[in-house]
Amino acid sequence: MRRGGFHKGLRGFWWLTLGFLYLPLIVVMLFSFNASNSAASFTGVSLRWYRRLLGNDAILSALGNSLLLAVVSSLLALMIGTLIGYGMYRHRHRKLGWLIVLIYLPIVLPDIVFGISEMTFFVKINELTGLLSPGLATMTIAHVTFQVPFVALIVYSRFVGLDPTLFEAAKDLYATPRQRVQFFMLPTLKPALISGFLLSFTLSLDDFVISFFTAGPESATLPIYIWSAIRKGVTPEINAIATLMMAAVALAALTSLVLSRRRAAS
Amino acid sequence: MAYHTTLATARSRAVVAESRHLLLTVAPGALWIIVFLVLPSLYLMSVAFMTNGPYGLPEMPLSLTSFQQLAGQGFLGWSPGNLMTLGRSLWQTVLSTVLVVLVAYPIAYYISQSDQRWRPIMLLAVVVPSWTNQVIRTFGWMNLLAPGTPLAELAEAMGMIAPNMGLYPSNFAVTLGLVYNFLPFMVLPLYAAFEKLNLSLVEAAQDLYASPLKTFWHAVFPQTLPGLLAGVVLVAIPAFGMYVIPELLGGGKGMMLGNLVANQFAGSANWPLGAAGAILMLIATFIGLYAMRRIGKRLGGGEEVVI
Repeated sequence: MRRGGFHKGLRGFWWLTLGFLYLPLIVVMLFSFNASNSAASFTGVSLRWYRRLLGNDAILSALGNSLLLAVVSSLLALMIGTLIGYGMYRHRHRKLGWLIVLIYLPIVLPDIVFGISEMTFFVKINELTGLLSPGLATMTIAHVTFQVPFVALIVYSRFVGLDPTLFEAAKDLYATPRQRVQFFMLPTLKPALISGFLLSFTLSLDDFVISFFTAGPESATLPIYIWSAIRKGVTPEINAIATLMMAAVALAALTSLVLSRRRAAS
Repeated sequence: MAYHTTLATARSRAVVAESRHLLLTVAPGALWIIVFLVLPSLYLMSVAFMTNGPYGLPEMPLSLTSFQQLAGQGFLGWSPGNLMTLGRSLWQTVLSTVLVVLVAYPIAYYISQSDQRWRPIMLLAVVVPSWTNQVIRTFGWMNLLAPGTPLAELAEAMGMIAPNMGLYPSNFAVTLGLVYNFLPFMVLPLYAAFEKLNLSLVEAAQDLYASPLKTFWHAVFPQTLPGLLAGVVLVAIPAFGMYVIPELLGGGKGMMLGNLVANQFAGSANWPLGAAGAILMLIATFIGLYAMRRIGKRLGGGEEVVI
């Protein structure tokens, strides 16, 4: 009997916690359909904030920046990260402790230290050479830096999960290095490459702090636009754009989840 | 003889080829991280030991002024502002970590005891909110805690806040935001620990007529300790350097170290002071990582945490 009560209490706590986790998101979604611009009372359903988004050039340009930055940085990170992931696997029997430390560094460094390091460095380089003035280029460099470790770790763990004799088999069949890449490595790596790209893409879209410190005057991304709108107190449309972003990220993440499930099943 | 030399050359040639392979695959990424992260952070650290110039930019000569400023020394003598910010950062970190543990522990246990088919979905339900941008999630809380909202009116009716004031900006709102933000980081490693729980120890304790509390303390808690410690590191380190949440929910009196540091690179420019604060965060990060490794090794079942 006591056990039953304990379990019921736990279940109640579980639903309460779920409510706590989803409440702020639901409020943002709900008020994106609010007819008035009040943040305290819901006066009726309307799509006016979504219509306002379409006519807002600043938001559209921020969206463009976000997507361009995410695509370019993810592609670069995919190339660099895959190479380093493969190198880590192939030479895993050597002492590569320094490499592991290097790869984990971008992950463990606090965002704010990361962003400010990049910013001061870019300013210094700019002062000395005139290159790398703050803008999409500096943001791309910073994003690639935090994406590479994730791609490398995903590719590395994919290789570790493979039967090592497969590599020998390819060699024994006199496959040239090029054929080995084309017919063995790329097909087996495909799932890791897809999830590496998707993860990089989401990390880039989601990043605020590092982008904020490396951005230039004309390279605001969506999170930066949202941030400055909140600071200025202009918020009704923010609910709408935030709702669209939540939907997009949830969709991307669920797609990659379903893909990985299907792979695990097959 | 000839055979031996050819073998030796073949071997050394293979070693050279392998080393070249290592260099070609690893060098681009390693160089990228060294040039664009290691060098910048070393530069930032060196800035902390320079003097603040007229435009907030670092200048020679080298000095320790920035660290004195971080401790509160200014043109007008000593003031407690910066030390209070440091103290608040520590306090908020400890408080929110403890609260996150108190919420995550029963949640992780509940998930581990649920039907196996539901567990992945329950874990997903806990993690999904953190996929949303941090700025947006914090904005959601601003909406919930603003003046005139049901939560603010409830607090007002209970006499916890002055009339027509919201629940933010305040230290309470920052704690709430931190707990909200970091809850999933604690649930995941704790769940992993609960899932591996050796139940025969619990049964043994029950057979020996241990009270439920004693059973928990001696048979359950020690087994979840590695997960708990991993969670504490995952929560406490980023909480200590948090920028977005105190900036939006805390206001001037809820400022934390991250805001103090960031401000030195924006409005009240003083790069050396900001860099000194960043060094403090780095030290905290490395202490946390080192502690986790040590404790992980001592407990045997050191958790490899990769997010």
